[in-house]
Amino acid sequence: MENVATDENWKTRFAQLAPGLVLFARQWTRSAADAEDVVQEAFVKFWRRNHDVNNRGLLYATVRSVALDLLRRDSRRARREAAALSDADQLVQPAFDIEDDSQRALVAAIDLLPDEQREVLVMKIWNELTFAEIADALGISQNTAASRYRYALTALKKNLPSS
Amino acid sequence: MNDFSELEDQLRKLRPATPSPELFKQVERVLAEENGSTLTAGVLPRQRRLHFNWLSLGLGLAAATALVLFAFVRLQQPTTTTSKVASVSPAPATAISAAQFVPAGLTQVVYHTRDEGLHFSNNSAQPMRRVRSQARETIRWRNPKTGATLRISYPREEVSLTPISGQ
Repeated sequence: MENVATDENWKTRFAQLAPGLVLFARQWTRSAADAEDVVQEAFVKFWRRNHDVNNRGLLYATVRSVALDLLRRDSRRARREAAALSDADQLVQPAFDIEDDSQRALVAAIDLLPDEQREVLVMKIWNELTFAEIADALGISQNTAASRYRYALTALKKNLPSS
Repeated sequence: MNDFSELEDQLRKLRPATPSPELFKQVERVLAEENGSTLTAGVLPRQRRLHFNWLSLGLGLAAATALVLFAFVRLQQPTTTTSKVASVSPAPATAISAAQFVPAGLTQVVYHTRDEGLHFSNNSAQPMRRVRSQARETIRWRNPKTGATLRISYPREEVSLTPISGQ
């Protein structure tokens, strides 16, 4: 079984996964630095437990778990973030390298998505997880994951200025 | 076939920002320490931060509120009885005491439940499903003689962890 702990070329593997993992983690953090801390901690945790590196559902579940724990460690920050999560949907938008205005509009539209839809979108588009893996990571059914993805795309299409 | 294929292509053209080189260095350092049998990773300073247990805080506040209310009821009692004592006719049956309040009901309204997915607790190797529910509990007491009621309401947060077996 392929394993992070025995993978000689873990740098290559991590280099492949890191941008998507950081993007995923940024949904629960206010800064890129915090997101990188989350990814670092989650990856090391995953590595320590000798999990199968191909079990991406579990890896993303670990990142999500660490990110949510980070929110709660600082009580004041946790309160603020939880309020943002439940009330205002004001999560920090995923960080992208924006090249033009159309991409800027796209990122703004992504930012308007409800967090549960954006979460699935980020995992599907930029991390290329299957719906089965997404369902595993989020503790939802595959149908729910697929529905959220479809709702996200519908909402994006609606919110984007027609080209 | 797929109404969203064009949109999906547009989305895929968006490139996530590249993580800083520092991330790679840090992970490399920690993994190197692990290989060297170093027990502490030394990269988790936030873990040592004060952790607030909201459930304990909520229950503590509820208990404190209950004590204050009971103390208030007891403080009201002497003024009532002394005025009766000063009167000509004794009135032993009219004094209200906190002991005369009997529990009349407990209601729990769960207003938010969130499945937080898989989680590793306390360095456990086994993943657990974490479900967080928030509720408001209301306890009522009633004085059967006077019909007076006392009600205490407080928020409550509960986290349940269910072990997930590996496949």
